[in-house]
Amino acid sequence: MGNELLKIIIVDDNTDYLFTMKTFLSRNGFQVKTAPDGQTGIELIRKERPNLVMLDVMMETTFSGFEVCRQIRNDPDLKNTPIIGITGMEDELGLKFDKYDDAEYFSPDVFFDKPVDKDALLQKIKDLIL
Amino acid sequence: MSDSNNSELMDLTFKSIIDALPCYIMIQDQDYKILFANQKLKSDFGDDIISLSCYSVLKGSHHQCNVCPVRKTFKDKKVHIIEETIHLSDGTVIEMIAYSAPLFDAVGNVRACIKLLVNVGTIKDTHRELVTLGQSIALLSHDIKNILEGLQGGAYVVEEGIKDADTELSGRGWDIVKKNITEITGITQNILYSAKERKPKMKIISPVEVARQTGQLFAEKASSMGIQLLLQLNPKVPRVSLDPTGISRMLGNLLWNSLQACHTNTEKSKHIVYVRVDYYDYNHFMYEVEDNAYGMDTQIRKNLFKEFFSSKGDSGTGLGLMVVERIIRNHQGKIEVLTKPGKGSLFRIIFRLDNKKLDLN
Repeated sequence: MGNELLKIIIVDDNTDYLFTMKTFLSRNGFQVKTAPDGQTGIELIRKERPNLVMLDVMMETTFSGFEVCRQIRNDPDLKNTPIIGITGMEDELGLKFDKYDDAEYFSPDVFFDKPVDKDALLQKIKDLIL
Repeated sequence: MSDSNNSELMDLTFKSIIDALPCYIMIQDQDYKILFANQKLKSDFGDDIISLSCYSVLKGSHHQCNVCPVRKTFKDKKVHIIEETIHLSDGTVIEMIAYSAPLFDAVGNVRACIKLLVNVGTIKDTHRELVTLGQSIALLSHDIKNILEGLQGGAYVVEEGIKDADTELSGRGWDIVKKNITEITGITQNILYSAKERKPKMKIISPVEVARQTGQLFAEKASSMGIQLLLQLNPKVPRVSLDPTGISRMLGNLLWNSLQACHTNTEKSKHIVYVRVDYYDYNHFMYEVEDNAYGMDTQIRKNLFKEFFSSKGDSGTGLGLMVVERIIRNHQGKIEVLTKPGKGSLFRIIFRLDNKKLDLN
């Protein structure tokens, strides 16, 4: 299966980031759709059944990244979807995601810190999907 | 000198020392009654506190304290140290460290306790400031990471546009780069502004002119973000004594917050931001910055000016509003925030027309 058939959904409340990351991933052979908030994101993910989800953890919107992740993991049809969490907060504020109850339900497969190393991101996407 | 004279002299010396110490010293019995109080304690709580209970004097309470070092000392004959707060008669609450030590009789029983209380309020304030500083550095670091992501991403899009001779793509990338340059400029200026207490440099200026110039600075940015920026400036508002740099920074921070809120508010297709200058009443004029973005709920509104609180989630530290609040305070002004979730927000800053008495230089 070639890259061009692989679908990625990005959920982030920073619309500029959605545009630049969509541009980058599209030009590297992925089909990319975006959502500017958690609610729209989870609806899009359920509709599109992507191969991978990129998820901003700390969104100000009604559904945080944690909630989107939890809903994905709780959905029998979606629970095995690879999730890449994007954050800039974990180290600085000492957030330890595994302190939350049912951490397995909202634990992304991997976290990337902003600014995202694009080459490392591409490699990780390939590792997770291919 | 006789032995009794020497003894009297020593007693006087010790009493002078105890009275001179900058802390509270008292001796209590097992019923918490004050048997002795040093001069500082009497000065702050009155000369008539002897025989009153410690908790009634220091806490204004009719009940024993839940945690009491004196009670522990009577029980185990050891020194105990706790943090506690006391209440002065004017309502001031002071944070103290309390030490309790036993005074033994000839057979080794605890006859009384000596209690020493030291004011640590300043230390605690400094500690809290350091904790806040640590958190704010973390949040600033997060902000700067987002900006770096924006600059890298924008630059990438520009390059791709150039490669493909796609000027629309390059233009979009360049807009993202410019927006993030504005962000980092604003953060840097706000950090510099708040780094130390800055005395405003007051001049007799036109508040309308400051608003016009600040609006012009943001006109292009607003346009590139697809937001209409309207200035409604009453030319009849007279010249007053203001710090032009501070007022411009204040308006700039509020304007930028509104533009960002509009930019991320994807539920609405048309956004307008207003900047107004007008009379508030006979003695005051006002600045207003209004948008039709998200608006704020009660919780966000309540915390708005808390240091480094931000309602912007991933995209802001609240440093800008903290600087706004400080500038308003320096001008002895007032701020009102009118907001409704889903409708938008209005920030109104009110200053006296005649603040010539405001000599802050």
